Amino acid sequence: MNRGTLKLNKKLFAFSVYMLGLSLTCLQPVFCQDDYQFDLSEIEKEIEKKPYYIGGFLEFRPVLFGLDRDSAFYKLRFFDQDEGSTLEQYNSRLRLEGSYEKGITGLYFRTDSKLWYDYQGWDGDITFLEGYFALKPGPSFALEAGKKVVQWGKGYAFNAVNFVSRPKDPDDPTEPVEGYYLAVADWIKSFGGPLKTLAFTPVILPVTDSINDKFGEPDHINFAAKLYGLLWDTDIDILLFTGKSRTTSYGLDFARNITANFAVHGEFAWLPGFDKKSINSQGHLYTEKSDILKYLFGIRYLTTNDMTFIIEYYHNGAGLDEEDADNFYRFVDRAYDTYLSTGNSSELNRATQLSQGSLSTAKPMRDYLYFRASWNEPFDILYFTPAVFSIINLNDRSLSITPELLYKPITNLELRLRGAFLVGGKYTEYGEKMNDYKIELRVRYFF
Amino acid sequence: MIKLLSMILMCLCLAVPAYSDDGNAILQKVDRNLNPDSFEMYRKLINIEPDGSKKEFIMFTVKKGRDQVASVFLSPASEKGRATLRLGENMWLYIPNVGKPIRITSLQSVTGGIFNNADIMRLDYSAEYNCEKMEQQEGLLVLYLKAKTRSVAYDSLKMWVDNKKLLPNTIECFASSGMLIKTLYFKKVQDFGGGIVRPAVIETDSPLHKGYKSIMIFAKMKKKELPDEVFTLNFLSKVESLR
Repeated sequence: MNRGTLKLNKKLFAFSVYMLGLSLTCLQPVFCQDDYQFDLSEIEKEIEKKPYYIGGFLEFRPVLFGLDRDSAFYKLRFFDQDEGSTLEQYNSRLRLEGSYEKGITGLYFRTDSKLWYDYQGWDGDITFLEGYFALKPGPSFALEAGKKVVQWGKGYAFNAVNFVSRPKDPDDPTEPVEGYYLAVADWIKSFGGPLKTLAFTPVILPVTDSINDKFGEPDHINFAAKLYGLLWDTDIDILLFTGKSRTTSYGLDFARNITANFAVHGEFAWLPGFDKKSINSQGHLYTEKSDILKYLFGIRYLTTNDMTFIIEYYHNGAGLDEEDADNFYRFVDRAYDTYLSTGNSSELNRATQLSQGSLSTAKPMRDYLYFRASWNEPFDILYFTPAVFSIINLNDRSLSITPELLYKPITNLELRLRGAFLVGGKYTEYGEKMNDYKIELRVRYFF
Repeated sequence: MIKLLSMILMCLCLAVPAYSDDGNAILQKVDRNLNPDSFEMYRKLINIEPDGSKKEFIMFTVKKGRDQVASVFLSPASEKGRATLRLGENMWLYIPNVGKPIRITSLQSVTGGIFNNADIMRLDYSAEYNCEKMEQQEGLLVLYLKAKTRSVAYDSLKMWVDNKKLLPNTIECFASSGMLIKTLYFKKVQDFGGGIVRPAVIETDSPLHKGYKSIMIFAKMKKKELPDEVFTLNFLSKVESLR
């Protein structure tokens, strides 16, 4: 990228932030109105149910990356170009979701259309997140088939028992993931006594070369099931996944309120005979059968002044250990040195492929601690939530710290300003990320 | 010996909280007059800020018995589909993006403004409070209510009740320190049909949020037979289909 383009991008970034501030200042008086009107007939018109629904949001999200030019992932991406010390990215997105319901049947969909501009120019894609048919003959039974997200587990940032869904991003756990093509049923029964609810949720998930091909080995039909009970005011799930596309998995999770402002949750998953991946010092990936345990424990605590603390510890027995990660980062260093001395980038290309496999998951290693503190409407500022969260890699003691300001100043407008700062030494997960920091503004208008 | 026994008996009697049986009976009648045992309703929440700017929310709610409530936001678009389930002390929040219900602390706020969960997902007053004292005051009954457990949002309530209609007129909500947290004003009694006659508006202000006001307007409240399965975690994402 030349200096002229760099300057232009920086001006564009500053202009985006300025325009946002200006538009907010201008918008505010429009919404200043007198007291409310009491007219029940008007409200009844507003709540009239239509068989169809179309909604979603428009998003604009400029991001500024502060690059770490000595890191492994910087070398993999920019080994043959100089992008300076910062990088800007301008993202826009249209989320469309809708439904059509008639009687006991319904059709639902959700799509994401993204367009972005960065040092590589303009690009975009459209993702069909969900699209499924539902049959709901009554509150006790439902059947859904199509592309759908079936999220299991009690964890906020992580999940150990999420057997039939893509993993969520711990940096943004409330964002939706893309679903899989499956059929899922729900049978619910309520009781008196200590067991208040019992629910059974079976899932059929086929994998072929063209359907759910990212899930696992193709040409198999897989089955999963969840048995839920609300027993003595405790949520308990017993979970199972079986099929030839992935390793058979057994799971258990629970959640319970200890007091009105303190809740605990946990998940356990057992994967016998799992193909565990490792990286040797030559940068070669190899697998060996191993019995894997994944688990997490978490708490949620609300203080009297409306601050919420969420803490989660997650152990992923299938993740890379410190030696694997160290081998990978040293391999990247050697591959980069080879490129500098010979101009041959084949080793770097191999390292990139390696990173897109085992290291492509959001948190690839074994032990993580998640901490989040958020304060609901401090200092009488309505619809304002400042928060800070941190994800700590307990294996290499590197971490990210992300302060965040969320504000919903007017109806359907949501602003989020976030800065992520990465801390870690050489050959650590956060120390070897492409950037040292990231500043992001997200503007969403819902419709 | 008899003296000693009678003294112990007296001490025991003093140790037991004083409840007003008449007051509790009236509180139960107030509950039934405010809503039937099993019903559905729509509510519009309006938060008004000191500069006059306001934000509106519309919710659909179903309730059964003393302690089963489920609610879902219908508007604005930014909140649509966000649903909450309360079974006594247990509370869950469903966010459509997340795709699964999350257990939350029952004191957690699900929307901004002066109304909190205790108001939006309110159980029957008689489920959470005992009437300790009742008195007459200018043609109104005044019930002094004390929370049954420490997990209730307000430690005590002072409820002014219309003598004839047995409907609340004003409720003051206090913290355990005795500090006034908010005041609810019940207004505009309406006939919703099916024998439901109750205030259609609750206005709220709070000394903690000077100049702010929240309004709750009730619409289309009607009796509805609801199976218990409606009030379950698995059904939470489908509550809107009951409309």
